[in-house]
Amino acid sequence: MEPIIETFESRKKHMCIKGEGISLPVCDKASLPGTVTQRTCVYGGARIVLMPITDSIHLVHGPIGCAACTWDIRGSKSSRGDLYKKGCSTDLKEKDIVFGGEKKLFETVIELNKIYHPGAIFVYATCVSGIIGDDIKAVCKKSEEITGCRVIPVQSEGYQDHNKTKGHWIGGDALLDYVIGTREPEKTTPFDINIVGEFNVAGDLWGIKPLIEEMGINIISTLTGDSHVDEIAQAHRAKLNIVQCQKSSNYVAKKMEKKYGIPFIKVNFFGLEQTVNSLRDIANFFKDPDMMEKTEKIIRSGLKEVEHKTDEYKKRLDGKTVALYVGGNKAWSLVRAFEELGMDVMMSGTKNGIKEDYERIKETVKDGTIIVDDANSTELARLLKKYRPNLLISGAKEKYISLKLGIPFCDFNHDRISAFAGFKGFESFAKEVDASVSSPVFELTRKGLGN
Amino acid sequence: MSCINVIEKERNVVINPLKTCQPFGAMFAVTGINKGFPIVHGSQGCSSFVRYGFARHFREPSEIAVTSLHEDAAVFGGRKNLVAGIENLAVRFKPDLIGVITTCSSEIIGDDVYGFAETARENIRKTMGEDAQKIEVVPISTPSFVESHYKGYDNSINAIVNHLARKDEPNEKVNIIPGIVNPGDVRELKHLLSMMNLEGIFLTDISDPFDAPLRPSTVTTKPFYPKGGVSVDEIRDSANSLGTVSICKYAGSGALSLEKEHNVPAEIDSPPIGLQNTDQFLRNLKKFTGHDIPDDLLNERGMLVDSMADNAARYLFGRKVVIYGDPDLTTGIARFVGELGMEPAMVCTGVKGPEFAKDMDKIAKETGCNMDVMVGQDLRAVEVYLKENPADLMIGNSDGRLISLDLGIPLIRVGFPVYDRVGYQRQPIVGYRGGLYLMDLITNTILEKYYEPTHWKLQQ
Repeated sequence: MEPIIETFESRKKHMCIKGEGISLPVCDKASLPGTVTQRTCVYGGARIVLMPITDSIHLVHGPIGCAACTWDIRGSKSSRGDLYKKGCSTDLKEKDIVFGGEKKLFETVIELNKIYHPGAIFVYATCVSGIIGDDIKAVCKKSEEITGCRVIPVQSEGYQDHNKTKGHWIGGDALLDYVIGTREPEKTTPFDINIVGEFNVAGDLWGIKPLIEEMGINIISTLTGDSHVDEIAQAHRAKLNIVQCQKSSNYVAKKMEKKYGIPFIKVNFFGLEQTVNSLRDIANFFKDPDMMEKTEKIIRSGLKEVEHKTDEYKKRLDGKTVALYVGGNKAWSLVRAFEELGMDVMMSGTKNGIKEDYERIKETVKDGTIIVDDANSTELARLLKKYRPNLLISGAKEKYISLKLGIPFCDFNHDRISAFAGFKGFESFAKEVDASVSSPVFELTRKGLGN
Repeated sequence: MSCINVIEKERNVVINPLKTCQPFGAMFAVTGINKGFPIVHGSQGCSSFVRYGFARHFREPSEIAVTSLHEDAAVFGGRKNLVAGIENLAVRFKPDLIGVITTCSSEIIGDDVYGFAETARENIRKTMGEDAQKIEVVPISTPSFVESHYKGYDNSINAIVNHLARKDEPNEKVNIIPGIVNPGDVRELKHLLSMMNLEGIFLTDISDPFDAPLRPSTVTTKPFYPKGGVSVDEIRDSANSLGTVSICKYAGSGALSLEKEHNVPAEIDSPPIGLQNTDQFLRNLKKFTGHDIPDDLLNERGMLVDSMADNAARYLFGRKVVIYGDPDLTTGIARFVGELGMEPAMVCTGVKGPEFAKDMDKIAKETGCNMDVMVGQDLRAVEVYLKENPADLMIGNSDGRLISLDLGIPLIRVGFPVYDRVGYQRQPIVGYRGGLYLMDLITNTILEKYYEPTHWKLQQ
C-alpha cells in the first residue's frame, strides 16, 4: 500500500486511513531520536494537570530551565488570585548536583511558605533531582511538619517515559495520595459531584459550572481548574465524578471509583449536541425527576440563547476541511463540534495517544479520515502540504508551521483566549473558527506579485 | 558622589526567573547557522519548551531535534539515542552542521558526547558516502546546572568557532558576536556595517531564521530550512577577519579564541544601545578595518541627537526608570536612559557576572545618579523593590507585565520574551536608528501616562 506521506520506515505504521485496511495506527512508542518531536516530558505533563490549582505554589526542584520555560504558560483562569502563576525554582547548581539538593529544597519550601502562606506547595521532581536521587518525599514530609502547610511531592522526573500522559497520572497520584480525602465537607447534599479533567483554560469551566449548578447539583471541587486545594481535599465525598478531559483524567476517576466507590461518567462540553448529551447524562445518573425537568429547561434556554447566532459562521464554514493534531482528548471530543459547524474532519491525530485513545478516535471519525500518531514537525508539514486542510487545530509549536504554509490555524491549547465550552462557548468557538478560516489573508498568501 | 548599591539575593528560591538554563542559549546560537540543526541530548521537554518559547516570541516555527532520553538511558547511558539521533537527523535533513547540545541529564550521566558524535560520523560516512563529508558535527557542552542561558550561548559560539575556524587568506571582513538579540537588531547591525562599506561575519545570525518571509513558494514547498543564517564556510573564514567585535560582554569566549588561535584581534564591549555605545561600536569597527565613518552615518547620528535635543529635556529629565533583563541589554539601556536625562534608579539582571556591577558603577558616575543594582536576582525582587521605591517607568520583557499592571507603572517591552505585543522582535534598539525608535517609544509612553490628554493645542 502507498504510504500516506514519505517518512522513515518505522514511522509509516503510525499513520492510517480509517476504512482502508488497518484503521488503528501503531502508537505509544518512544519517538525516533533525532526527529523534531512535538512531544514533551513527563514533568510537563504533571505540571499542566496541577498548575490550575490557584491557591498553591508550584515549586520545581531542578535547574532553572525546567521552571523558566514553563511558568505561567497555561491559560487556566482563576477567579481568586494568581499565586499559581508564579514560577518557582530551587535553581539547582553544580554544588547541589555533587552534594545533593535536599537541603536547598527544604530551605526553599520554608521561604516560600513564609512569603506566600499558600494553600499548598507542590514540589515537582525533574530529571536532575531524579538522577542525583534526592528524596523529595522525605523533604516534603519534614517541611510540612515544620510549616503546617501542605507540601506535596510530585514524582515527575522528566525522562521517565516517552508519554506525557504518564505525567498526568503522576499529577493525579499526588492528589490521590496527599490531598483527596484529607478534609470533610461542612455539608453534603444528595447531588454532590466533582468536575474532573477540566482545567478552566480561557475560562471553559465558567461556561459549564452555572449549567450544572442550575440543575441543583453541588460541585465539591474541580480537578483542577480554578480550584483551591482544600476543595480537592473534600472530593472523596462526591456521589459522582464527571470527566471532561478523558485523556489526562480517566486515571484519577478510575482510582477514585476504586478507592471511594465514586462512579464516573464521561462528559464533553464542546459542541451543542455534546453539551446537551452531557447534561442529560448527569441528570439521568441522579434519576431525580425535578432535576431532569430543570435540565430540559436549561437545555431549551441554552439552545435558544445561541439559536441562529452561528448561522453566518456556518454558511462560510460549510464543507471546509479541518485537521486536528492535539495532545489527546480533543482528537475525539472536538469532532462532533466541527461537524455541527458543517465542517469535515479530514485528519485527527495525537502526540501522546494510547491504544484506547485511537479506538475512541476511530469510533468518532468517518471513513477516509487520516489518523496520525506522534507526527513530528516534518511529517506534520508534509501532511499539511499534501492535504491542505482549510484549518489546523493544534498548539503553539505547530501554529507557525501551519501558518508558514499558508494554512489557517486556530489555537485550541493553552494559549486560547476564548472559552469554547457549553452553549455560549459554542458561539465563541464558531466565531473563532470562522475568523481563522474566512480571513482574506489566506487567499493572499497564495498570490504572488505576478508580472 | 554618585555610587551604586548592590542588593544581594537573600533567599534560595527563585521566583519568576529572569534567566533560563544553558541549552536555551545553544539552541538560539545554532538556529543562526544556515542549514544548521540543533539536536538536544536530553529529555523531550528540554527542546519542546524552548521551541514553545521561541514560537511565542518570534512567531516563527522553530526546528530543534531531540534524542528523547528516557529512563533506560539514565541507567545505561544515552549512547544509542545520540548515535541514532545524529544519523536520523543527517539522513533526513542533510544539514551542513549539527550542533549537539548537552543538558543536565546527559552531563550528569556522563555521556561521552565527543566519542558518540565521532561514532555517528563514521556511521553516516558509511551510509551516506559523499554527502556525509560536508556535515559538521559540533558537540556543545551546556550543563543546565552551571550558570545560565548566556553561558550556553557563549559556550556554543566558542565551540562552533573552535571547531570550524581555519586560517587562510585575509578576507577584509569583521566578525560580530551579537549576543541574544532580536532579528531587528542583527539587521540594524548589518545596516551599520554596510554604511561603513564593510562585510561582516555574524556569529551567529538569527535575523532570517527567526523572521522569515511567507511567499507563495514557501506555501507550496516549505523547505526544511529557512533562508539566511551564517554559512558554515563563513564561520570557517572567521579566522581570517580583521577583527572580532563581541557586543556582548557575557559572550566573549569565541572572540578570545579567535584572537588566541588565529591572531584575530578581539574587542568585547557593551551593545550599541544609545548614542555613546553606538559611537564606540563604530570606533571599534574603524579601529579594526581602517574604514571611515561616512557622512550618511553621521547624519543618522545627528537625527538621534536632534530628537534627544527636542524631547529629552522637556519630557524625560529626572524620570525614574527600573530596568530588568539580560545583562548586556540592561547595561546598554541603562546608559541610554542616562543619556536622555532619566535616572536608571534600579537595574536588575538574573544572570551573575563580575562585569555587571562594574559597568553599573561607570554608568552611575557618568549620569551622576545613585543606582540600585541587582545581580543574579529575579522578578520577585523587582516587584518588592518597586513597591518600596516607586518609579515612573519599567523597561524589560513581557514577564513584568503583571507588576506593571498591579503598580500602575508603564512597561516598555524589550528583550526576550515579548509575547503580549507584536512586532518587537522586528524593531531594532541598537544603532542610532534603534535609539530613535526606543526613545520615541519611551517618550510616547511617558506622554500618554503622565501628561494631560485634554491639554490645549500646543505641543505638550
